Amino acid sequence: MQATETLPETDVRTDEELVGLVVGGDVDCFEELITRYQPRVFGIARKYFRNESDAEDVVQTIFTKTFQKLSSYKGTAPFEHWFMRLSVNTCYDALRRRRNRPEHTISDMLFDDEGWHDRMGNIPDANDREGLDEARELVHTVLGQISDRARIVLTLQEIEGRTIREISGITGWSESLVKVQAFRARKEMRAAVERFLMKEKRL
Amino acid sequence: MKANETEQQFLKLAKTVQTDERVPDGFAARVMEQVRERHALETSSADERFLRFARNLPANEHVPYAFEKRIMAHLRELLTPDPLTLWSRMLWRAVAPCLGVMILAVLFSADTSDGQTAGEFETADFETVMLASFDDLEYTW
Repeated sequence: MQATETLPETDVRTDEELVGLVVGGDVDCFEELITRYQPRVFGIARKYFRNESDAEDVVQTIFTKTFQKLSSYKGTAPFEHWFMRLSVNTCYDALRRRRNRPEHTISDMLFDDEGWHDRMGNIPDANDREGLDEARELVHTVLGQISDRARIVLTLQEIEGRTIREISGITGWSESLVKVQAFRARKEMRAAVERFLMKEKRL
Repeated sequence: MKANETEQQFLKLAKTVQTDERVPDGFAARVMEQVRERHALETSSADERFLRFARNLPANEHVPYAFEKRIMAHLRELLTPDPLTLWSRMLWRAVAPCLGVMILAVLFSADTSDGQTAGEFETADFETVMLASFDDLEYTW
């Protein structure tokens, strides 16, 4: 019997290898990159867009932009960082463009059965799709009341738990600007939550 | 004095009794739990509760069926050149050679003129054109 077992050779190509192949003309390799990243990109897009078709549009724009700009990727940083930066920036641009479209109002999101405070106390179970959808709606409604910049910073810092330096890298803003924006974002969010509670108390 | 002696003896005895420092099992944990609850109640303002709620919500990473195929089809469409785009690109490319030919033609015509200055020629032509209607009037009356 052999003392050491040889591990099966994996033919999984790295992101950088795939990028090289796509830039070299093998366009079909881009599909592998899409398959690899699409769940994460959908996760990101759905944090900023409530509507499913909006999220799909943004994800399509992200991948199209990635394909068009792939030759500008120098390979000095991991592809994932470059790609995430492009994804968040595209979401930000899309958010700014659709600003004039009506968002859900606070009164749309008031529940009959239990208060807003009670809902925040417990996260729905992972199998409770309806509960999760309602919870996400609630988050979208509150974040829909604040400015786009504030929303981006708040999502990256408070919800995804990224550092100031990381946010600076993703957004391309200076670290001090990120700090200022984070402070303002917190203030805006507090005001939005208070408005929410006031409205609920009045009813 | 007897009473005083008894008191002294009692105090002496009381001092010798060791303090009972036994702690019930899990007492510290119980107290800390209460402290934390109290602290959470005091510090958790509505916005902090909201953030905690949003942070703990699992991301929805569901991908629509065959989404990658859709993207690839869109990209292939982008790669196929549009005839109108090609035509306009060719027109733009033709601008510089056309300008060159035009300049050459102007230079050539200026060089082969018969010595009459352009100014004189234009003046005579202009006069003829301007007075053409009056010539016609004379013939009519």
